[in-house]
Amino acid sequence: MGGLAVLGQQADPAAKAVPAADAPNGALTIGGVIALTGNANLYGQDQRLGISLAREWAGSRRRQPGEPPLRPLHFQLQDGGSDEATAIAGFNLLIRQGVLALIGPTLSQQAFAADPIAQRRGVPVVAPSNTAKGIPQIGPFISRVSAQSSVIAPLSISEALRRDPRIRRVAVFYSQDDAFSTSETAIFQRTLRARGLTPVSVQRTQLADNDFQIPITAALQADPQLVVISIQAVGGGNLVRQLRELGYRGAIVVGNGMNTPNIYPICQRWCDGILIAQAYSPELDTPVNRTFRNLLRGSSPDRSPSQITAQAFTAYQVLFEAVQRLQRRGGLENVNLGQARKALMEELLAGQYDTPLGPIRFTPDGELVQGQFYVAQVRMDPGGRSGRFALVRETGVSGGAGGSASPPAR
Amino acid sequence: MDPALLVQMLIGALLGISVYLPLATGQLTLATPAFYAVGGTLAALLSTRWPVLGARIDGSFPLPSFLLELALGGALAGLLALLVGRIVLRLQGIYLAIATIALVEIVRVAILNLPFTGGAVGIFGIPQPFPSAAGYLLPALALLLLAGWVCQRLEVMALGRAMAAVREDELAARCMGIDTTQVKLTAFVMSAVLAGGTGVLAAHFLNTWNARQGSFDSAVIMLAFVILGGSRSWLGPVLGGLVLTALPELLRPVGDARLVLFGLVILSGPALFPQGLVTPGLLERLGRLGDPAGRPGAEGSRP
Repeated sequence: MGGLAVLGQQADPAAKAVPAADAPNGALTIGGVIALTGNANLYGQDQRLGISLAREWAGSRRRQPGEPPLRPLHFQLQDGGSDEATAIAGFNLLIRQGVLALIGPTLSQQAFAADPIAQRRGVPVVAPSNTAKGIPQIGPFISRVSAQSSVIAPLSISEALRRDPRIRRVAVFYSQDDAFSTSETAIFQRTLRARGLTPVSVQRTQLADNDFQIPITAALQADPQLVVISIQAVGGGNLVRQLRELGYRGAIVVGNGMNTPNIYPICQRWCDGILIAQAYSPELDTPVNRTFRNLLRGSSPDRSPSQITAQAFTAYQVLFEAVQRLQRRGGLENVNLGQARKALMEELLAGQYDTPLGPIRFTPDGELVQGQFYVAQVRMDPGGRSGRFALVRETGVSGGAGGSASPPAR
Repeated sequence: MDPALLVQMLIGALLGISVYLPLATGQLTLATPAFYAVGGTLAALLSTRWPVLGARIDGSFPLPSFLLELALGGALAGLLALLVGRIVLRLQGIYLAIATIALVEIVRVAILNLPFTGGAVGIFGIPQPFPSAAGYLLPALALLLLAGWVCQRLEVMALGRAMAAVREDELAARCMGIDTTQVKLTAFVMSAVLAGGTGVLAAHFLNTWNARQGSFDSAVIMLAFVILGGSRSWLGPVLGGLVLTALPELLRPVGDARLVLFGLVILSGPALFPQGLVTPGLLERLGRLGDPAGRPGAEGSRP
């Protein structure tokens, strides 16, 4: 047993000294554990892109006159798969290789498995896409840049009701075997009840479903005026299309699972008009978001900017800025890796960041405080093959940096 | 090697033996993930919701409570197997396989929809009986040694011989006076107890538990352990479980192509070794090597 304990400790290079910034091996490593395989790999591809754009952005940062040299950062990416065991293996591997901090994993369920390992070893984690309740509460080393669905989801319902206050009959669809969709629909339904609306029909589907004729027929019998959907992109796109094809003409609000340009080819012209609340708007007109969009256009002209990509960019950005601030304050001199990790976490949580998502900061326990959220409406091109999320409302949330609800300044 | 990966490999080997036990009586059942999920869910529930077990605020968990969970998880899975086995073991071949897949689905959907199992997110913040992943090596290894010892003992026990007789020819075995239903049920329950205990271990090791852990997909992977390793000796599924769990991790340096290579291994395994890596012939040759009379120069070295 004692031997095993030694085996566990040897695996962690926390006691090694951090090299000086101008030493030949002065670069520190950030690790990323992202779903490149399995059913979450669509998100993982977007995240890989977001991080590579952030690295381009970081590489182009120049040292200001009079400033100490920037601390160079390496990035090491590992496939986290879409299951818990692979995410754990990815975290363990990178921690053993001596990373300063970690970005990932992609799914909240994976975070509940892998984050406790980083927490026990004292390695800072920035989650780019975990939205479940309780993620930062895993421990003081866990933070996220993805807003909880409880903050975002109610905004799109409010917008739909603002557009048509006479709505009384609401139908709800969600995939019951998907962690994200079940927690999101609970928030949607709570918001509806708070507005005095009890769903006339609640349809449960499965993650792998693509044919929704039966639940749609059942829901349409209740003659809904608003349909609220919490289903991932592919299934959700098909559901919207089949809803319209079966004659539904009312308003549609969709959840964050469909917050990706990947839905355009699936529901095509039938996507037009659906409402969605977003943590990122491509139409936000700030210097850093313009830079983000330009970098994206330069590297993948055929991809539209998506929330997942922007959040992954943000995760790397906050780590980069926190490391540089720590470097300027001398917090990376004469310390070992374990101490540097702890100092970085404190620096990370103390900072304010101007990101493609808008201005953000963290609560002391690592939860995101984001000033602005957005409600968008999908506008499809006349050909119906491509479209955009047109910003219809920008909302400041109390506690954040923004103001109150207002139409966007465009 | 990373101790966490070693633990995952041992869990793979344990699940391999669990699929092997019914196969040793000639019954193809894919129910192992259902019992694994029952054990895991029980451990997750008990350790997070039942303060009597002594989970502490710092996330640690007393070892005796963990051992109690192991016993309870195995017992509950065994009980379920006893109830279900009486019915499903009347079926044979592919029909039995389909019935056990249905069991896996029923358990999965139940865990997904029960009010106290956390829905699709599952149960998280499972307390830890050991300070690091290396701590799990000892119980996992002990469980594997125990399972291996039982399997080895079976070879010379009446029950083991009866299992082999049922596998070779069920009708002939019944004619010889073997209670084939009882034999098959015993193997099924042993398999469930092992899977339930493994689930308890895995729930603590993974820190979190949800309905995805016991799915049809995992049944297919566990069956692959047995097919690659060989189904004629318990060492086969152990080797299959160890190798197939470790391979995707060991192939990480290959980068994006690692799962392609992994798929190739799964494909080429049965093609090159139709009876699996561990065959009775191989064991016999190894046995003769260990025997002084079988040293080179004696009969064992014949080409």
